[in-house]
Amino acid sequence: MTTVKASPVQKSHRISRTDLLQFLMYGRAFIALILVVLIFSILSPQFLSAQNMVIMSKHVAQNALLAIGMTFVILTGGIDLSVGSIVGLTAMIAGGLINEGIRLDFLGVIIYPHTWTIIIISLIAGTLMGAINGLVITRFRVAPFIATLGMLYVARGFAGLRNNGYTFANIVGRPEFGNTGFERLGAGSFLGISYSIWIMAVFALIAWFVTTRLPFGRHVYAIGGNERAAELSGVRVNPTKAIVYMISGFCSAMVGLIIASELVAAHPATGETYELNAIAAVVLGGTSLAGGRGGIGGTLIGAFVIGVLGDGLVMLGVSSFWQKVIKGAVIVLAVIIDQAQARMQERIALQQQQEIGASTSRQSTPED
Amino acid sequence: MRLLLVNQPLKIRETIGNTVKEEVRIKPKQQNKLLLFHKTILNLKSEEEEMKTKLFSIVGLLVVLAMIISACTPTQPATQAPATKAVEQQQPTQPPSQSEAQPSGKKLICVIVPPVENPFFGAMQEIAAKKAEELGYETLKLVHDDDANKQMQLIESCIAKKAAAIILDNAGADATVAAVQKAKDAGIPSFLVDREITKEGVAVAQIVSNNYQGATILAEYFVKLMGEEGNYVELTGRDTDTNAHIRSQGYHDVIDQYPKMKMVAQQTANWSQTEAYSVMETILQAHPDIKGVICGNDTMALGAQAALLAAGRKDVIVVGFDGSDDAIQSIMKGELKATSLQPVAEMATQAAIQADLYIRTGSTGKPEKQSIDMVLITPENACHYKQFAPTGETGPCPTPPSQ
Repeated sequence: MTTVKASPVQKSHRISRTDLLQFLMYGRAFIALILVVLIFSILSPQFLSAQNMVIMSKHVAQNALLAIGMTFVILTGGIDLSVGSIVGLTAMIAGGLINEGIRLDFLGVIIYPHTWTIIIISLIAGTLMGAINGLVITRFRVAPFIATLGMLYVARGFAGLRNNGYTFANIVGRPEFGNTGFERLGAGSFLGISYSIWIMAVFALIAWFVTTRLPFGRHVYAIGGNERAAELSGVRVNPTKAIVYMISGFCSAMVGLIIASELVAAHPATGETYELNAIAAVVLGGTSLAGGRGGIGGTLIGAFVIGVLGDGLVMLGVSSFWQKVIKGAVIVLAVIIDQAQARMQERIALQQQQEIGASTSRQSTPED
Repeated sequence: MRLLLVNQPLKIRETIGNTVKEEVRIKPKQQNKLLLFHKTILNLKSEEEEMKTKLFSIVGLLVVLAMIISACTPTQPATQAPATKAVEQQQPTQPPSQSEAQPSGKKLICVIVPPVENPFFGAMQEIAAKKAEELGYETLKLVHDDDANKQMQLIESCIAKKAAAIILDNAGADATVAAVQKAKDAGIPSFLVDREITKEGVAVAQIVSNNYQGATILAEYFVKLMGEEGNYVELTGRDTDTNAHIRSQGYHDVIDQYPKMKMVAQQTANWSQTEAYSVMETILQAHPDIKGVICGNDTMALGAQAALLAAGRKDVIVVGFDGSDDAIQSIMKGELKATSLQPVAEMATQAAIQADLYIRTGSTGKPEKQSIDMVLITPENACHYKQFAPTGETGPCPTPPSQ
C-alpha cells in the first residue's frame, strides 16, 4: 500500500520530455496496434468491418490463450516449447473420445462420455502433460528448454499414434450416445461474439488478477527475478514452477479443443509451430525472456499485434514470404525498443534515487 | 558475507511484498551497498507502472470489443445472403452493383494452396490466378502451410472480404469440410483442386487428378524397367495425407501381381527431399542389393536419387510422381527413369473457368467430382512437358546419356 501512495508523489516530480518518451515507450505495443489497425483500414476497405473485427479477434484468441499460459512460464524464467504439440494431442484425445469413446475390452463395453465430460477430460489431460513438464523440470532438474522440447516430440508422436496418423473426421457425436454439441464450442457465439473470444477474455482477466493480485503471482515474478533469493525468502519454488507449466498445459488444451471444434475434425498435426507464435506474442508484449518482468496485458496486446498484422497482410494479398519477413522484423524491433526502454528506465530511476538520496541527506545534515 | 546477509532479505522482501521501498529510501547511507540491487527494485517499479499503462490498454481493448458488440447486429448474415445471391445471378454484361464490395468493380477470387515452396503448388496457384485474372477477376493468392486451422482462418478472411469464389487446394480431407461448409453458408462457392474432401455437396466442384490411375501406369512402367523381378524399396508420402495412401495402393495393386518383385523396405519420407536422402542412405546400408526405388512424389525421388548417386549406385532405377520440372530435367539427364505428370495446369485452369461459369450462371454444368487422368513421363516424352503442361512440341526427345 505504501508504494501506491508513494508513486503519484514521485510522478509530480518529473514532468519532462523524458516523461513523454517514457509514456510512448510504455504504450508502444498498444500504439503499434493502433497504427497497424489504422494502416490496414486505410489500405483495405473491408478491414474495419464488424464482421472482420470479430473474425480477427477469433483468430487472435487461439494464439492469445497459448500466450497467456506461456506468459506465466516465461515470467518464472522458463520456456514451454510443448504447447503446440499439446494442442494437437488434446485435439486428438477429444476427437477420439467423441468418435470412439473409451473402450473397456475386459468389461466388453464402450463408454461414450457426455460432451462436457470430454471437454473436462481433455483439459485435465493437457494439464497433466504440463504437470509432467513441471515434474521433469523441478524434480529432475532438467532445463525447461530441454524438458519441454522432449514433450514437444513425445506429445506430437502420441497425437499421431492415437489414430495412426489419420484424422478423426466429423466429430459431432451421435444423439443416441448423448455426446453431441462439441462443434458449438468453436462455432457458437454469445452476443454476436464467438465463444473463443469470450474464453480468451475470461482467461486473460483471471490471469491478470492472478499475476497482479494474488501471492502466487508475486511468487512467479519473484522466481523469475531471482530464483535463489525467492527460495531463501520462503517461496515454494518447485510447486510454483510446476503449477506454471500446468497452467500452460491447460491453456494449450483449451486451444486444442477450440481448434478441433472449429474444424469439426481432429488432425494429428494440429498446432505445429504454434509455440513459436505464442512466444512471439509474449515477447512482443514486453515480457522479458529472462523472467521477472512483464505481464498479461502486454501479452494480450502482443497477440493482437501479431494476429492483426497477419490477417491484415492476408487481406491485402501480400505474398506469404513477405508476411514472414514482416512478422520477424516486427518481433525483433519490439525487443530492441524494449531493451532501450529498460535502459532508459534504469537511468531515470538511478537519477531519482540520487535525488532522493541528496534531498534526504540535506534534510538529515542539520540534524546531524 | 555480511553484505549478502543484510541485503538479500531486503531484496527479497522488495521482490515479493513490494513494501520495502520506503525502507530503502530512508536509509541513504546504505545506498552504495544497495546499488547492486537497484536493478531489481527498478524493474519492479517499472512493472508496477507498466501494469497501469497496460490496464489502460486493456480498457482500450475492451472499448474496441464493445464497439464490435454494438456494431455486430444479428442482421449481418441476413444482409449478406441476398448480396451473394445477386452475385450468382449477375450477368457479365452488368457488373456494377457489386462495386460496394470491390471498389475497383472487379469481383474477387481467393486462390488458397499449400506451401508454395513446392513448385507444384506455386505453379497451380499462378496458373489458376492468371486464368481468373484473364476472365476479369481480382485474385488473392494465399498459402495455408498445410495447417487446417490456418486454412480456416484464411477462408474466414475471404468471407470477410466478400470474395465471389474460392479456389482451394486443401489442407486435409477431413479437416477441411467445416471450412468449406462455412464458405458455403456465407454464400461463397468453393472449387477444390488436386485434393479431395471426404464430404460431397459442400464444394461446387472437386477437380482432382486421378492419382490411382497415375500410380498404376507408373507401377506398370516400373515393373517393366525392373524386368518383372528384383528387390525394391518404396518411399511413401506423409502418413496423414490421403494421396500418400492412394498412390501406395495403386503401386501395390500392380506390383504385387508379380511374385518375383520383392519389397525389402517401405518407409515414409514425408514428401521431403532431405528426409528421402537420409532414409535412402540408411536403407542402402541394410539392403545393398536393391534394384529399384518407387517414390510417392518427385521431391522424395530426387532425394533418394541423390543418395544413390552419392553412394555410386547409378544402376538403381528410381521413379517419382507429380512430373515437376526438376524431375523432368532429371529424367532428361538420365537419372530418374520415370514420373507421372499431374495435370496441374489443366486442373487449375478448369477451376478458374468453372468458378467464372458458376458466378455468372449459377452452375458449372459438370458433376462435383471430376477426375483428370495423369500422363506417364519417360525419357521418350520428357522434353514435351514443362511447368506441368504440354509444351506443344512433338519431335523425338534426345536420348539421355547412358549409364
